[in-house]
Amino acid sequence: MPIRRLPENLVNRIAAGEVVERPAAAVKELVENALDAGARRIDVTLRDGGRALIAVVDDGCGMTADELLLAIERHATSKLPDDDLTDIRTLGFRGEALPSIGSVARVALTSRVRGTDSAWTLLIEGGMVGRPQPAAHPPGTRIEVRDLFFATPARLKFLKQPRTEADHAVDVVQRLAMAHPEVAFSVTDDLSRNPLRLSATVADLKDRDAARLSRLALVMGRDFAANAVPIAAERGELRLTGFTGLPTLNKPTAQHQYLFVNGRPVRDRLLLGAVRGAYADVLARDRHPMLALFLDLPAGDVDVNVHPAKAEVRFRDSAQVRGLIVGAIRHALAAAGHRAATTVAAATLDAFRPEIAPAWTPRAGGSYAGGPPGGGPRPGSGGVGIATGGVVPRVLAESASSFQAPLALGGLPSARFEAAPDPGPAFRAAAAAASGAPPGGAGPDHPLGAARAQIHATYIVAQTADGMVIVDQHAAHERLVYERVKQALVEGGVARQGLLIPEVVELDEAAAARLLVRADELAELGLVLEGFGAGCVVVREVPALLDGGDVQGLVRDLADELAEFDEGLSLRERLDAVCSTMACHGSVRAGRVLTIDEMNALLRQMEVTPLSGQCNHGRPTYVELKRADIERLFGRR
Amino acid sequence: MAVQRISMKLTIERAALLRSLGHVQSVVERRTTIPILSNVLLRGAGGELALSATDLDLEIVETAPADVSRAGAVTAPAHTLYDIVRKLPDGCQVEIDSDGAGTLILRSGRSQFRLGSLAADDFPQLSDGNDGPSFRMMAADLRQMIDRTRFAISTEETRYYLNGIYLHAAKSKASGDELPVLRAVATDGHRLARVELPLPEGAANIPGVIVPRKAVAEIRKLIDEAADTIEISLSETKIRFAFDTVVLTSKLIDGSFPDYERVIPSGNDKVMEVGARLFANAVDRVATISTEKSRSIKLSLSPGSLVLSATSPEAGSATEELEVDYSAGNIEIGFNSRYLLDIMQQISGELARFTMADAASPTVVREVSDATALYVLMPMRV
Repeated sequence: MPIRRLPENLVNRIAAGEVVERPAAAVKELVENALDAGARRIDVTLRDGGRALIAVVDDGCGMTADELLLAIERHATSKLPDDDLTDIRTLGFRGEALPSIGSVARVALTSRVRGTDSAWTLLIEGGMVGRPQPAAHPPGTRIEVRDLFFATPARLKFLKQPRTEADHAVDVVQRLAMAHPEVAFSVTDDLSRNPLRLSATVADLKDRDAARLSRLALVMGRDFAANAVPIAAERGELRLTGFTGLPTLNKPTAQHQYLFVNGRPVRDRLLLGAVRGAYADVLARDRHPMLALFLDLPAGDVDVNVHPAKAEVRFRDSAQVRGLIVGAIRHALAAAGHRAATTVAAATLDAFRPEIAPAWTPRAGGSYAGGPPGGGPRPGSGGVGIATGGVVPRVLAESASSFQAPLALGGLPSARFEAAPDPGPAFRAAAAAASGAPPGGAGPDHPLGAARAQIHATYIVAQTADGMVIVDQHAAHERLVYERVKQALVEGGVARQGLLIPEVVELDEAAAARLLVRADELAELGLVLEGFGAGCVVVREVPALLDGGDVQGLVRDLADELAEFDEGLSLRERLDAVCSTMACHGSVRAGRVLTIDEMNALLRQMEVTPLSGQCNHGRPTYVELKRADIERLFGRR
Repeated sequence: MAVQRISMKLTIERAALLRSLGHVQSVVERRTTIPILSNVLLRGAGGELALSATDLDLEIVETAPADVSRAGAVTAPAHTLYDIVRKLPDGCQVEIDSDGAGTLILRSGRSQFRLGSLAADDFPQLSDGNDGPSFRMMAADLRQMIDRTRFAISTEETRYYLNGIYLHAAKSKASGDELPVLRAVATDGHRLARVELPLPEGAANIPGVIVPRKAVAEIRKLIDEAADTIEISLSETKIRFAFDTVVLTSKLIDGSFPDYERVIPSGNDKVMEVGARLFANAVDRVATISTEKSRSIKLSLSPGSLVLSATSPEAGSATEELEVDYSAGNIEIGFNSRYLLDIMQQISGELARFTMADAASPTVVREVSDATALYVLMPMRV
């Protein structure tokens, strides 16, 4: 058969196969066009999951009748003014979306250029273009896509349930909306009773971070907003902003990790690896934090033209980007100090309550803790036996009196700290010694307050300026020791044991090359390796801490991780695991009775140790109940 | 085919039974997926009771005199049987009776035990025909070879060929002329131990074999009670140690031992001689400070003096100076203190000789008065 040029229409359908693989992809292209057109309000309507109708209406710059005709031509775009693919400042640039969609659906474009008085409409049906007709429309553009994929029945068969397709479309809009808090978005679809409504936030909020966070809260949930730490880092021309969640707010999947590069949502393995590296210390391997990061860099340093749907990008210097992300997250988490997620306190409150009131129920009137009508817990339903007033002090007093009678009898039954009778010389000395502050040292300098008692020889109860704190003594002390052990490792360097019989590890050539490029980095962590012919590396020295470990397995894991995340995580993880075992053995166990002095010392150390709000696996080391929370438990609010 | 159970009846001294059972039962794993492996096989014939136990890799067979009234074979749970016999009063007679129907009856004095018994025919046999070379050596020599090398056996499973002692014939070039020797070598990749003894008669043509760690441990336990000489036989896949009434057969590790000669440095020129006990005690003291896991310790040498030091960010630091016989240039070299102590424990003479090159190359340690053993240790870098 002779080689021939394919007809234009077929070419467009082939392109559609790449660009428009499902309704959500069409939504993405159209909404991106609207954003590129400078819209301030974008409304999306879906019918039958986008199969029957996708309508995107914006108030952007609009198009003239001639532009309408050009817009549905392939590779026709307004977005590459200098014909320079290395300098892409818009979301789109290929001029492929409209003709692709037009070739597989019935499309109606209606547009009016801002400042003119007439609108034009143009119909395309399976690639057949009509004539522009005068129409009525406010400034901006309306694109209606009907019967998507009617021209490619094969594709139609592969679509999922309308509900699923609609969810994907909403997800796409949400992602774009996260990066554009200044634009109002709405998605209406006939299958869902709760349409997405995101109002523009920048108009009434000057602070960009606050605007962004309130938009993120709408998409990622209120929990995220309450437990997010702001990120701001710059390195050269790279700028990283956004929010990252506290480790105690974690999820079983990495689904809630968003990266935006120059305002474009991307799915990048680099992000996953960097995030895992940054959280390695504070989260178990199978738990994932929530975060949204916005990376701004010169257009020339990133190639967005590597994926048909632009879901992936390529960085000129990916090591620098990764370093920036890891560094910024670690820094932000360390700055957050001992903060633990408020979800922890909320969960505690829920445990006390007769029935669980979700934090975001509308009847709570906006604030998260609307208890059931009537408020207080019913006797016997609190689960922990702490519900009725008389019980608490007695339990505390008994356990406390076993080690320090004067304090327990004098101080505890009275709830108010200031008014408490003399708490006993031991406590006063303790508070003074531990904090240098007067005995009532629950001020702003000591957010974890003054230790009041130890219960079940496991938990420390402390009173703070505006509430109380319950500390898991083992988890907290383990974290403190762990940080100290790690610090020692960093300062002293990783001791390396030379191998008398060097270990040869066979890999494929690419994997070996990847390892050797990073050999210096690995050597710093105690693993010294060299090339050994094609596809082999020879290990000369191993970290002394990993004595007797499986060197082959370690090297293979590292090679795989370098391929996947561009970062060798295993080595550090294994070293940290050793540190963590040492920390566990070297810390105060549950069941050990502590004196008030010891408890206060622990609280003070937690306050000054970064990341002390959670143990190495992301579980909280303490729970804080504000006075307001306690009052709510008793129906006083 | 119906399972044939063979009946047996015999009487044996409790002391003799306990001794033999004690030897064989240590091979039996506490938990196993094959029930017969938790049993011991008892075979009575011709005035002797033969007991065998196996874990499929290692088998010990031991015989003890007994009054056999009905020859046959029977199995019994090894650990239970051992516990029973252990608790019987000293000096009593034990009667073992089996009707061949799955029950073993043990009587002694007024005690009686009925134990479940599995078919003796199903008991796996490891010691089949052994047609390889065999030789005899002194039990004391074998004990020495094992003691001085076994500490260096690797416990890491990926390099399985290091999980044992490499036994082979070689030529020693120690004092000019070549002397045929029998060598035992063990290494875990960090250190290496090599012991050689004059080649026993008949061992000239033995193949190099790797004796697994468990076999090493079992034979070591048995040697102390052994007679003067031990007969060692080798086949392609097995090694057999026979002495007195005991025969231990073990599978060999199927792998090739690395070319260890290459890692024993010959050009090290910095020689230090130090009192072995003094040195070991000093290392032990200074290492108190070094961190729990890495256990590193630094040796700083200058003519006539050795300073041992260790630092730890948590615990502080320690130094100790020793007078040594050393005349080469100054050198600093770090080691894992545990490895140093392991080696020093093997040195029974007064003086130890360290031969070093630099802080990154292997160091050789030997006993000054005894050339049979040699140790190589890789430094640690801090």
